[in-house]
Amino acid sequence: MNGKNEDRARARRCLQMALEAGAQKARVSLNCNVMDLVATLDGAVDRITHCFDRSLSLALFADGRYGVFSTNKIDDETQLRAFVQQSLALVRMLEAEPLRDLPDPARTAKDAREGDEAGLFDPAYGTVGPEQRKGFALFASPWGAAAPDGSWRLISEEGEYSDSLYEQYIVDSQGLECLHRETAFEYGIEVTIQDSRGDRYSGYWWDSAAALRDFDPSYCGRKAVQEAAAAIGPRRLKSGRYCAVIDREAASRLVSPILKALGGYAIQQDNSFLRDALDKQVFPAGMTLRDCPRSIGQTGARFFDSEGVATRDRDIVREGTVRTFFLNSFMAAKTGLAPTTEEPVRPVLEPFWSAASPQPKHIGRDELMRLCGDGILVTGFNGGNSNSATGDFSYGVEGFRFKDGKILHPVNEMVMTGNFLPLWAGLLGAGTDARACQQKSIGSLAFEGVDFSGT
Amino acid sequence: MSWMIDPDPKLLERLVREGLRGGGNWCDLYFEDTVCTDLLLRDGAVGSGGVNVDCGCGIRVLDGDRTGYAYSESLEEGALLSAARAAASIGDGSVCAVSSAFSAAGPAPARNFYPMREDWRSTDAARFVPALQRLDSLIRTRDSRVHKVHAMLSSQVSEVLMYNSLGECVRDTRPMGSLSISVVFLQDGRSETRTVSRSFRAGAEMVDETLLQELAHKATDGLDAQFEASRPKGGTMSVVMAAGASGILLHEAMGHAFEADFNRKGQSVFAGRMGERVARKGIWIYDDGTLPGNRGACNYDDEGIPGQKTCMVEDGILRSYLHDRISARHYGVTPTGNGRRESFRYNPIPRMRATYMGPGPDGTAADLIADVKKGVYVEEFANGEVKIGEGDFTFYVKSGSLIENGRLTRPVKDINIIGNGPRALRDIVAVGGDLLIDDGAWTCGKEQSVPVSCGIPSVLVRELTVGGA
Repeated sequence: MNGKNEDRARARRCLQMALEAGAQKARVSLNCNVMDLVATLDGAVDRITHCFDRSLSLALFADGRYGVFSTNKIDDETQLRAFVQQSLALVRMLEAEPLRDLPDPARTAKDAREGDEAGLFDPAYGTVGPEQRKGFALFASPWGAAAPDGSWRLISEEGEYSDSLYEQYIVDSQGLECLHRETAFEYGIEVTIQDSRGDRYSGYWWDSAAALRDFDPSYCGRKAVQEAAAAIGPRRLKSGRYCAVIDREAASRLVSPILKALGGYAIQQDNSFLRDALDKQVFPAGMTLRDCPRSIGQTGARFFDSEGVATRDRDIVREGTVRTFFLNSFMAAKTGLAPTTEEPVRPVLEPFWSAASPQPKHIGRDELMRLCGDGILVTGFNGGNSNSATGDFSYGVEGFRFKDGKILHPVNEMVMTGNFLPLWAGLLGAGTDARACQQKSIGSLAFEGVDFSGT
Repeated sequence: MSWMIDPDPKLLERLVREGLRGGGNWCDLYFEDTVCTDLLLRDGAVGSGGVNVDCGCGIRVLDGDRTGYAYSESLEEGALLSAARAAASIGDGSVCAVSSAFSAAGPAPARNFYPMREDWRSTDAARFVPALQRLDSLIRTRDSRVHKVHAMLSSQVSEVLMYNSLGECVRDTRPMGSLSISVVFLQDGRSETRTVSRSFRAGAEMVDETLLQELAHKATDGLDAQFEASRPKGGTMSVVMAAGASGILLHEAMGHAFEADFNRKGQSVFAGRMGERVARKGIWIYDDGTLPGNRGACNYDDEGIPGQKTCMVEDGILRSYLHDRISARHYGVTPTGNGRRESFRYNPIPRMRATYMGPGPDGTAADLIADVKKGVYVEEFANGEVKIGEGDFTFYVKSGSLIENGRLTRPVKDINIIGNGPRALRDIVAVGGDLLIDDGAWTCGKEQSVPVSCGIPSVLVRELTVGGA
């Protein structure tokens, strides 16, 4: 990244300015991002974009008051100093919040100085030139594809390749200094096909890797077309209670509300259906959910949070019992609980198999459909919401009806409803098939007794 | 804090020349200087706040329908020229004349749709601390079940300068103020939350007693129903959508399909259907950038096209898509002022502004409800999602009631309405005369976030799927 040392020096200078201006404590975060992107439309290059962002975020603690300020005008020292002074004036106008403080220095990261510690930086970044980018963008294009029997044809294809470098540098007035950087090579493609009746169906697929050597998007176009073609001829089912298998692409949607409900803000505001769940078994014994931020080289790995607090691998839910809330320094002080990290970094759901038969080595959606026998395979959620205070949810679903472990036909215009606690109580299986490119490592899931509304 | 943009006119010309050097036939520049300020009340104290300063210039080069885009956060000449060269790489290498195929912007808007009587940038933020405290107090006074109040006042002013290869140069000052609250209520050990917001393209004058009272009422009215509400049995039934905020369904389920990029690419269910009947007679659908003070108002869009009102569906017939310059050139029509972007970091694409259905002849919500044997009355949706190609949508009902034999019988919550946009449009069987534009802080997230608003009169849809127990 051009001028990175100068920018980091400027971040340190900004911290000094804040203290000189009268702040008792301060933290400065420097965020930099460079991205090059090539988008395609119908098998040809449609858009080329180059992005370069840099901004400073300044957390000020002054006279028991607190505020967060950010700017991307960081080159001019006079302008930066004026920004700091005006920010401090605004902080002093606020009401006191005496519980605001920097984290205990003993808790902050000491092992993230070079930026590469999480194993997500590829030195090969920067070797990719404009022509190679176009090559990646066009290589996976399925443009021109059609069904051999003429039952559908591809009418639109949009692909997007990007490579990026992200860097975050944090310093605070208690001596914290840490750096994280990661590279990403990503490709996504969306296709629209039209069947012989004129109805349109869309399909999407994507892949990404932190290292160029691990990046292979060549199959994505074919996969997106397969997804679209498989959705032809959907039917609405009768409303009722079914077994549900949730494909790994969609499964994190059922885990995220749990993580949100364990977050400090929801707990402190009494807006969480898990507010009284700490150290209680509220999930089935087969459910173990961990946070594994220190899995070096794995997507989402990270050694510190936004306060600079060192992350560590920990149980979130162990055999059904809630083991932690996610509390930053402020929320911990407000709730009187011990601080952890601001939020889960890299959640991992451990595999589970409820049947008496031996647990297969690989548990994917096919194994889970066989386990369930009959039910609905959910491959995606379309809209919907959940109530964080009660745990009630209602999601539009897309997917397939299956019987005897085999897919029968696609379904549409159906809604899955329930409450997260009874839903998870019906957990039949959790897969080993989580994708390496996803930050939440959640495999396919199977539940019994799920309410679906249709006709 | 500095926000003035005043580039040397010769630099603008140099940047455009550099952008076109690779063979593109259109170049435009989008300078932006934005200051956002937030004040947050939580647990009875305005104890947190912040400012975000964001400045830069986006440079776009078009080669036919193809786009090269780059931006610089620095307004130094060297950095801007470097961005222009990056954007120029979309060209085919042959230097050519600037195309006249792209339309000139046309006459300036007749009026400023969002004058600021009190500029946020010169207003002491200290004036808003007592206003937030007053709001907290109003809410707590109105209902003893109030447990937590979280209120955020956000203000933003953007100075924008746009210049293009036709030599057109326009400036716009864009204010935005939003006041959003989230309240947690407790009753017999059960909790319920309510979120309410109001947002306007206006200056600091918008924060007055009337606004605080309105929000306090919105936050606490109908709370008994919310605690009593249950999830009804699901199935297929009639749906009456209340005037106002339920217009978000129109935005998501139908509005996106009118955006010309989805049609140009063949992805929309309305592609190739211009001039066809898509709804029954008497239905008119508009997208409007000219509502004074509205969150979706635009003096100019982000390509320098003056703000205007576009009629997409005229008496049930599809008459227009929502165009940016690229799609307008593609279809051989004039741009409709819908080329919008989140910031200088993004290239403009067709986006909605304030999207609403015109009033109809069928009375009020009560009249429509009286015609329904079994159905759901939706007062407000929380959020929704649509699949553009298929038109399938799902919307989460924030508040509503069950309709039985022409009467509202019991409140419902935590359900979804699911259907297909074009089919739902065809299945609208009655439209009330009570059009209401909602002033909530709606933000559309198609690739980029832009402020929008929505509205609708009371509408009866013959049949939709309701996801219940």
